[in-house]
Amino acid sequence: MALRSLNLPGVGTKYEFETDKGDTVAIFFTKTGIIQMYTLQKGCKTPSAAEMSPVEARRLGNILTGAIIEADQESVEIAFSALADLRITIHTFFVTPAVVGKTIEELQIRAKTGATVIAVCRHDRNIINPPPTFAFEEGDAALIIGESDQIKTFEREIMVN
Amino acid sequence: MESLVLALFVCLVLALITKYLSIPAIPFYILAGVILGKAGGGMLTTNEISHFFSEMGLIFLLFFMGLGLKPERIASNRVAVLTSGIIDLNINMIIGFAASYLLGFSLMESVIIASAFYISSTAMALTSLIENRKLMLRESDTVIWLMVFEDLVLIIFLAIISAGNQNLVFFLIKILAVLGVLYALAHYGKEFLISILDRDDELPILFTFAAVLITASFALYLGVPETMMVIALGVAFATTDPDAFEQHARPFKDVFLVVFFVFFGVTVDFSGGANWFVIGAISILAVVSKLISGLLTGLFIHGSALSGLEIWANTIARGEFSIALAVIYGSPVVGTTIAAMVIVTSIVGSFIAKYSGILRRGIVSHGRHRALLRRPH
Repeated sequence: MALRSLNLPGVGTKYEFETDKGDTVAIFFTKTGIIQMYTLQKGCKTPSAAEMSPVEARRLGNILTGAIIEADQESVEIAFSALADLRITIHTFFVTPAVVGKTIEELQIRAKTGATVIAVCRHDRNIINPPPTFAFEEGDAALIIGESDQIKTFEREIMVN
Repeated sequence: MESLVLALFVCLVLALITKYLSIPAIPFYILAGVILGKAGGGMLTTNEISHFFSEMGLIFLLFFMGLGLKPERIASNRVAVLTSGIIDLNINMIIGFAASYLLGFSLMESVIIASAFYISSTAMALTSLIENRKLMLRESDTVIWLMVFEDLVLIIFLAIISAGNQNLVFFLIKILAVLGVLYALAHYGKEFLISILDRDDELPILFTFAAVLITASFALYLGVPETMMVIALGVAFATTDPDAFEQHARPFKDVFLVVFFVFFGVTVDFSGGANWFVIGAISILAVVSKLISGLLTGLFIHGSALSGLEIWANTIARGEFSIALAVIYGSPVVGTTIAAMVIVTSIVGSFIAKYSGILRRGIVSHGRHRALLRRPH
């Protein structure tokens, strides 16, 4: 798989790579902000294209990295291949009645699950690295980081309980 | 003032319709000017305000062109770019010049028409590639670099032609000196420029607008034409943060350029003394000559006439630069001829670009069909 990136004057940036099986995928970030993705099957002459907004493109990217996306909650898995294939997942959760009014310390999130709350989104404001005394409110969205098993434990033990 | 308001309103409606139908807007802006101008009982008339707006449009168009010439933009496949650029330049300049000279234009007029005839619309070509989802085709790269090459040729051409009666060498040295000074300013003031562009308040836009206008007004004192001054400014600024400058100059360019097109249309007079044979011949030749250069480029670069057809489809449309040439140097007759050529080629071009895929498939299957018929049983 060889990835080529190319600057096209007046148009934008082009990324192109050929898969081992000979199919070609090309992505164009145009100056107008839209993103076009072309796929060309091996032996085929005309590519097919999809046009995406930046948000749609990021969603597609999340799907391609292998993260599961539910209706409103999404997660991103990052694999660091240099570090013994360390795979870290970042997952968003909307708080459930089970945790409303409780602090991170009371819930014993790290001790029980191993996962960490790295940010909470409240009324369109982001609170990065909330302290242990931080209490959840209704409508909060929490960003949890950990290995995928730890995230599953978090969902089972903390959010549902 | 009323003329300008009417023009802006008409443009807004036209922009909405053409964007909705995804067809190029430039020919319709010109047509609106033609219809509402002299031919349509003079609802639109040129006055000082419209003149000022039009001039701003031209200046910002050229400033953008300069910004686009980033030094790091040197193609990786230089031979291919040069080959296609030279084929395109020679074929279209020669056909354009010979046709207009034989049709009775003077030597100077023929040179102007030939240049307008040669230069395709970068804006329309790139929009067509994106909107018709052709970016992945290998011919797209050729078209994109061809546009860069044409822009470069236009700048050199503008420099030579605007020298007029002055000594050409002296004139070019003056332009290079201006470019050097602006380059040095941009280079040594780079930190300062970037700190201005990074701000969130009115400063970046105000600075961009003022810098372009002030540079243009210096043209009077230096004896270097405005066109050259603003292109040089664009080239110099391109070394700092061209994307930010494009972003801040875009609102001015977009509005002023539309007004520029409409009021160019107003000055065009198809009714009185327009020679329809000459206008028609030039317009049709403009489509045909790009077909010849496109086919040759396709054969030389991609080894296929079908590729040439694709290159042709996306380079037929003449637009902003042709009109700029008509406005800067053209007589009324030349202006009318170029206006007609822009209208015809941009409309024909947009349709051919949209349906070039079908055209190519049609030719391929026709070829196959014939081959099957000829096959011995």
